[in-house]
Amino acid sequence: MRLTLFAALAVTTAVALQAPPGQAADFSPHVKRVLETYIRPATQAFAETSATLPPAAEALCSAPSDQTREAFAASYTKTLEALGNITFLRFGPLISDHRLERLAFLPDARNIAQRQIRKALTDQDGTLGDPAALAGKSVALQGLTALQLIAFDSDSNLTLGAGDDKEALCAYASAITRNVASIAGEIAAEWQDPKGYSALLLTADAGNDQFHSSKEAIETIFNAQVTGLIVIKDQELLPALGTGKDKAKPNKLPFSRSSNASAYMAAELEGIRDAMNAAKFEPNLGSDAAWIPGSLNFEFGNAAKTLRSLKGPLRQTMDAGATYDKLNLVAIQVNSLRDTMALNLAGGLGLSGGFNALDGD
Amino acid sequence: MLWTATKRTAINRRSFLAGLGGAAVLAGSGWNGPALAEGLIGEIEAPLFATACKRANGSYALAILDDAGQILAEVGLPDRGHGMAVSPDGRKIMAFARRPGTFAMLIDPYDSKEPLVIASEPGRHFYGHGCFSADGRLVYAVENDYERVRGVLGVYDVSGTGAQRIGEIETGGIGPHDLLLMPDSKTMVIANGGIQTDPGQPREKLNIESMDPSVAYLDLNSGDVLTQHRLSRDLHKLSLRHMALDGKGQVWVGGQFEGDLQQMPPLVARMTQDTGPVLTEIPDQLASGLQSYIGSVVANRTGDVVATSAPRGGQVMFWSASTGELLGAKAVIDGCGLAPIDGSAFLISDGLGGLRYLEEPEAVPDVLAQVPGMSFDNHMFAL
Repeated sequence: MRLTLFAALAVTTAVALQAPPGQAADFSPHVKRVLETYIRPATQAFAETSATLPPAAEALCSAPSDQTREAFAASYTKTLEALGNITFLRFGPLISDHRLERLAFLPDARNIAQRQIRKALTDQDGTLGDPAALAGKSVALQGLTALQLIAFDSDSNLTLGAGDDKEALCAYASAITRNVASIAGEIAAEWQDPKGYSALLLTADAGNDQFHSSKEAIETIFNAQVTGLIVIKDQELLPALGTGKDKAKPNKLPFSRSSNASAYMAAELEGIRDAMNAAKFEPNLGSDAAWIPGSLNFEFGNAAKTLRSLKGPLRQTMDAGATYDKLNLVAIQVNSLRDTMALNLAGGLGLSGGFNALDGD
Repeated sequence: MLWTATKRTAINRRSFLAGLGGAAVLAGSGWNGPALAEGLIGEIEAPLFATACKRANGSYALAILDDAGQILAEVGLPDRGHGMAVSPDGRKIMAFARRPGTFAMLIDPYDSKEPLVIASEPGRHFYGHGCFSADGRLVYAVENDYERVRGVLGVYDVSGTGAQRIGEIETGGIGPHDLLLMPDSKTMVIANGGIQTDPGQPREKLNIESMDPSVAYLDLNSGDVLTQHRLSRDLHKLSLRHMALDGKGQVWVGGQFEGDLQQMPPLVARMTQDTGPVLTEIPDQLASGLQSYIGSVVANRTGDVVATSAPRGGQVMFWSASTGELLGAKAVIDGCGLAPIDGSAFLISDGLGGLRYLEEPEAVPDVLAQVPGMSFDNHMFAL
């Protein structure tokens, strides 16, 4: 396995550089830096941003106007970007209590959310408007993906606050936004809690049930970043790109219904990049690996810039202009980012990843 | 999550759909709900799949999934699992510890009784795979008789309430791994991996230079080895481990090479009882990244395509059952588990919690689910 091979080579290098013979490299300063300068601020930012959604939805519903529509759309986009910054943190507070799926039910290749929402609305489920009741319902009904389905039409127009079923949808939208803000608050609070999950990461040693060494703690964070890149490519981009331009399915892009696909995916890349920079791995890398962080930053920047250059609803622009080619380019860039992180950077640091690849049978 | 080891937490389909993930139900403490099912099959026709897995907190379990990639139930395992025997009616599972584990667990997802933990015989450990008899009354488990350095099939009677070990059959080699019951219901095909191990040195390989892997066709009634196929002598370090039966009655086997990885030997072969192994060709460009390691081998329902996963290379390769040609390969990082789904499609699981649906080898896989914190283990089974 390439990864193991690199990792094996790199362990020698990293240990030679970093630690006295027989002693493993200490990654606890890196874990602490990612926690303090990335995870806590980013989850706090998501909590603060999502707190703007309930008033924005309620203002739009009580007095629909260009102004309240724009304010809601802006709040929704900012919330998705703040979520995009942290979705790769698939461990600890974001995944306990199914929070990630409750915030955004993705992927949803079988349109489960759409079917469940239709059914709940047809059944006139009166508890849809109750945030506490909603938090106990299907995860597909609870979060920002459900909000997108009821607030935007399939042509990406913001329709919340208009139409015959305005009242039911507004009540439901309000409950979703409160539920999202509440989940976001819980995530931020748990990451801030010095005795919570961060204590597990920071006290990694033989006596710690979950992380037996600081290497295991940093691997949890690092491998989540790598998985985040795989999600962007395999789950978000490739199924939408299909086998060719004429087979593209732009509706499969995340949050494309609300024209937020490019902003969301750019935010995902920026989050993974910023967490990597927060770790400050440079001093651990030998001269032969010193190029990696700079190169990764350059590639992350290019991919995010390409995504940010795509304006308007990609659902409508996919077959026009260069949108398809640009998204295809981003998929290639993200693949290269994955390789550079999982093979070169992990190798340079002596980290390992994979489950089946690492130790099969 | 709050599953205790060996304690079943199951979710019935109704509450699952009501809670899709029954976020509340799943998160609830110690809810030991009704069996997976209670009319599940009659209620909603959904194909189900089972796989061993590692959970976010580092514990091991067997997970039951539906065709949308949603986890319907998890059964905690005492340690890392591997493969399982699924009864012909799809209603019973005997899950095995990964080698050199000593537990197996008999699970009835459609019943609310506790799973039954079975310990291997003294002097034996499980190798991770097993197979039901055609009538569903017996389970054959591959085991290591490590003192006499021989592989055996432990035979368990599971027709009553428990599991009674009623005998054993020699497999004709060392390190038996995957096994397939042939359509005649009396011939068992065993992949003897050829690697000698001893629980005193868990996962150490003791006989690489003298490895002698084979695929043996056994007569279950007499215990006789009917046929034993080997690759050519220069491939004796290719441990033959995982198999599938295609629609033409050919057995496909995938290997894991214990020699110099620079050699890039062939990794996949097909054979019948009467015809010796025919090796497939993997183009160099693809082969160079595979680390000479095949993880799972599975045929689709129509039996015309065989998939082989190469988790160390992050690739799944697809083969034509009729011509033996490579139809295509898909990149799936850490992908290993494979199961047939729908008419001719495959479900692919990976160590990062991903579940993909692939309609045909030329298509782009659709990610059905990306289960946070979950690592799906080597093999997946359709129930």
